[in-house]
Formats: sequence, structure tokens, C-alpha cells
Amino acid sequence: MTRINRLPSPALITLALGLVLGVAVRADVVAVVSSKNPLTSLSKSQVADIFLGKTVRFPDGTLAVPIDQEEGSVARAEFYATFAGKSAAQIKSHWTKIIFTGRGQPPTAVSDSAEVKHLIASNPQAISYMERSAVDSSVKVLNQP
Amino acid sequence: MQSQSTPSKRWRTRRELNAIILVALSWYPVAVSAAAGDPSASMFSFSGFGTLGVVHSSDHDADFTSTIFKPSGAGYSHDWSPDVDSLIGAQVIANFTPRLSAMLQVISQQNYDNSYTPHVEWANLKYEFTPDASIRVGRTVLASFLYSDTRDLGYANPWVRPPVEVYSLVPIDSSDGIDASYRWHLGDFVQTFVGTYGATTSKQPTGGNADARRQWNISDTLEYGAATLRIAYQRANLTLDGLDTFFSAFGHFGAQGMALEAKYDPYRKPLEFLGIGALYNQPNWFATGEWGTQQLHSVLGESTAWYVSGGYRLAKFTPYVTYGALKANSNTYDPGLTASALPPYLAGAAMGLNAGLNAILGSIPVQRTTSAGVRWDFIKNVDLKLQYDRTRLGEGSPGLLTNLQPGFQPGGTVNLISVAIDFVW
Repeated sequence: MTRINRLPSPALITLALGLVLGVAVRADVVAVVSSKNPLTSLSKSQVADIFLGKTVRFPDGTLAVPIDQEEGSVARAEFYATFAGKSAAQIKSHWTKIIFTGRGQPPTAVSDSAEVKHLIASNPQAISYMERSAVDSSVKVLNQP
Repeated sequence: MQSQSTPSKRWRTRRELNAIILVALSWYPVAVSAAAGDPSASMFSFSGFGTLGVVHSSDHDADFTSTIFKPSGAGYSHDWSPDVDSLIGAQVIANFTPRLSAMLQVISQQNYDNSYTPHVEWANLKYEFTPDASIRVGRTVLASFLYSDTRDLGYANPWVRPPVEVYSLVPIDSSDGIDASYRWHLGDFVQTFVGTYGATTSKQPTGGNADARRQWNISDTLEYGAATLRIAYQRANLTLDGLDTFFSAFGHFGAQGMALEAKYDPYRKPLEFLGIGALYNQPNWFATGEWGTQQLHSVLGESTAWYVSGGYRLAKFTPYVTYGALKANSNTYDPGLTASALPPYLAGAAMGLNAGLNAILGSIPVQRTTSAGVRWDFIKNVDLKLQYDRTRLGEGSPGLLTNLQPGFQPGGTVNLISVAIDFVW
């Protein structure tokens, strides 16, 4: 009886599982460019400026083409929290101002890291982000100075 | 009186028919984003926004309205008014080439005539010489203040509505003409210069037209990290024909009358505006403030307004507080015609005209508002806002209230409660 009573309740198991998953979904997201791009490092704010439409160029003057992940994806939420310090709602609000005053359109968004890699492979000007675990030789991780 | 002295932007064009069709179109589910990864994606992108809001005012002898362009609002006309903040907008952008695009945005909201007929808010062709340099031809919304061109986008703003003290200052908010924008980067600074030249004809809630001609606006925005600093200057020649008959009556009273007519009649009078704004937007908090001064060399007078506001983000909640003030720099009284120097049969008419003139001068809005509210981002692309405003009207002034009723007491305190749901799609 005593032993049974000491078993964790289903609610506790769910909580513990949630905590574990919670840690798991806080993925380590990195900014990536094509392996053909000579760029090796870019500050977080420089990366954020490209994704927020504040600039369309890399520091060397070449055109930068940002590729976003879809709204609601874990990588996207983590990317904007880490690189721009903004929540999904703040990002939406930012683009709402730009779209409805005709000043621009948000970056193209794709469904996952595989799709990101596919697009970067065909576009050396592209810049995107993905979980560190998804990185392979087709892309180059940008260091943050 | 307030609504008489300010023009409305709602002017009708043949484009309205197209607008109605477009609103209908935009409601049709269009899978635009599905093709986003494809460079040969649809040439058109459709989107929309809206606000459903109600406002309650403690003063039942006058109406509170969100802009000076509306005929009625909360207080006298409605206990809880849906007209103050509610609106729905739809937009289509056509990208003909990477450099040439067109934009059409229509909004349905309470018009000067109390209808909700959609009007064309934006309609222009844009050509980008580079991603940092563009010109637009057609209709644009003037960016007199930091939030002027986004004031209808509740979802993009921290408050239920931008502080009315500052945002009522300039009676022109649209331009049919040309604008040019140039952005450059200096290290970590981003600077954007915008120049606009055009004209606007708009209808007033109380009848008559407001005509702004040779209207130009220049603004310069400097962004550095979390900080934004902005300065804008605007100039136009403004005519309000609703007051024509009244002021031409002064012309019958000799040199003194003609001088008064020339001084006060808002006929081709220069309007000048200068505004400075700042925003500091950190991940967890923001602080913003603006100051503006407007001179309309006529009975509409000169005013200065400012506000400061700040908020703190706690997960999906953003509570905020705001303090705003609006004051008149010009005289709110004029002795007018010297009735004692006139023959008795004219003295009565002169005194009537003087009373009319001083009623308009005395209605120049003076008020201060303290606001507190909270934004709740409760589901994706939708927020709910609750806001309380306490407005103290200047001595003898109706402030920005309209539809003043016989029982209205100027110079009092008005409490407002606003609830709004903002959405974008």
C-alpha cells in the first residue's frame, strides 16, 4: 500500500514529461548561409535587421535574401526570441505596420529546415536559420562576434 | 463646434466601386502563403485587418470620437459606441515586376456622414530604383507622426488608439500626389527620408469641403538598435468652405470687418506643422513620446500637443500608461467688431457675429488625458485591449468632444472605458 501511494500521480508524470519536452523544444537555433557565401560572422542585430526588412544587404554590400520558417514553428519562435528579442506577436505587429503602409513584404517562409537547405543550395545570397542539429555541409553556420 | 472646425478625409471617388469589389474579393479565401516558397508565386498578395471595439463615456451631453473626422461617438449618441474604433480593412498588392508594384487598400469605418461605405485609404503605384529608394504616385497616408500611417492598424499599436491629443493636431492625413523615399545605412544607424507632395479634398461631418492644396510633408527617421527618432514638417494651403458664409458677413462691416474676415476665414490659409517623436523598444518594455505644434493661420488657431507612454511586457500581457496634453497657443477670444461705433440697426448683427466668432475661438480644444490599459495577445494574430482614460478639459474648453448638447459643461472631467479586439489576416 505504502509503495503504491508513493508512485507519482498521473498529473505529476505529465508535468515531468512537459518539463522534459519544454527543455527539448528550446532548440539551439543558428543563423546559416550558403557554404558558397564568403561571410563567416554576423552579429545578432545584423541578422535581425535583414529579417525585419531594415536592410537588404550583407555588410559587404551584396544582396541578402532572408528565408523564414513558417509562423508557429519552434525554430522561428526561438530565432526571433534569440536574435531580435521579439515574440511572435511582436514580429507580426512589426510586419503589419510595413505591409499595410505598402513599405514591403515579409521574407518568404518555408515549412522546415530541409526546405531551408534546399533553397539555400540554389541561392548563394540566401540567409536563414535552423536548429543546430539540422546543420549539414550544404550550409555554413554564421558565428556571432 | 469642434467638428465644424475640422475637415474630414472621407471623400468619395469612382474608385469606391472598385473598392467594394475588392473587399468582397479579399474575403474569399486565397491561398497566397502556400506558394510563398516558390519564386513564381502569385503576383497578388491579399491581406486585411480590423478592430471591433466599444467605448463608454461618462459625459452624456457630448460625444467622444477617436478622430476629428467622425460625426458621432460615445456619450451623447451611444452609451457604448461601436463607431469610435471599429473598422475593417482589406488590401491587395500587385507585384508586376520586382521593381514595379501597385497597392490598393480600402477601409470600412464610420464616415463623416455616419455611413460605413468603404473608402480608398491607399491607392498607388510604386517604383523601386533600388531596395532603398522608391517613388510612389497616387494616394498615400501622411506620416505626420510616428503612428499616423498605422493609426487604423490596432494590432500594430500598443494602445486602443494613438493618444488623441497629438493625433488630432493635424486636420489633414492623406495625400493624392507623389512621394519619394530614400533609406541609407551609416554603420549601425538606419536613416529614412520621405518627401511627399500632393493635394487632398475631404468632406466634413457638418457639411462642406476641406481643400488642402500644395501640400508637402518631409520626414526623417533615424533608427539605432532599439531606438527610433523621427522629425516631420508639413505645409499646405487649407480652405474650409463650411465657414464661408459666416465670415463673408464680416465683410459688410467696413475696414474692421474685412480685417477680421481676412484674419480668421479659413480660406487658402497656410497650415504648418512640426512634429518630433521617439520610441525605445526593448524586448520587455517600450517607452515612446511625441511632441507636435500646428499653426493654421485662421480661426482654427495654433495648438501644441505632446504625450509620453510606456509599457511592460509580461508574457502575453502588455500593460501600459500614457499621459497626453493639448493646448491652444493662439487667442481663444477676440473683441471682434466694435458694436458701440455702429448705428443701432447694425449693432445687434455685429454682436451676433462677435458671439459666433468667439464660440469658434473658444472651442479650440484644450485637454489633458491620463490613460492606463492592457493589451492581451490571447490568440495568434488577435489581441484584446482594455483601456481607461481620464480627460480633464481645459477651462471653458470642450476639449476634443463633439455634438455638444445644451446641458454640456465645458472644463469638466470625462472618463472613458474602451474595449477592443484587433486582428490581422
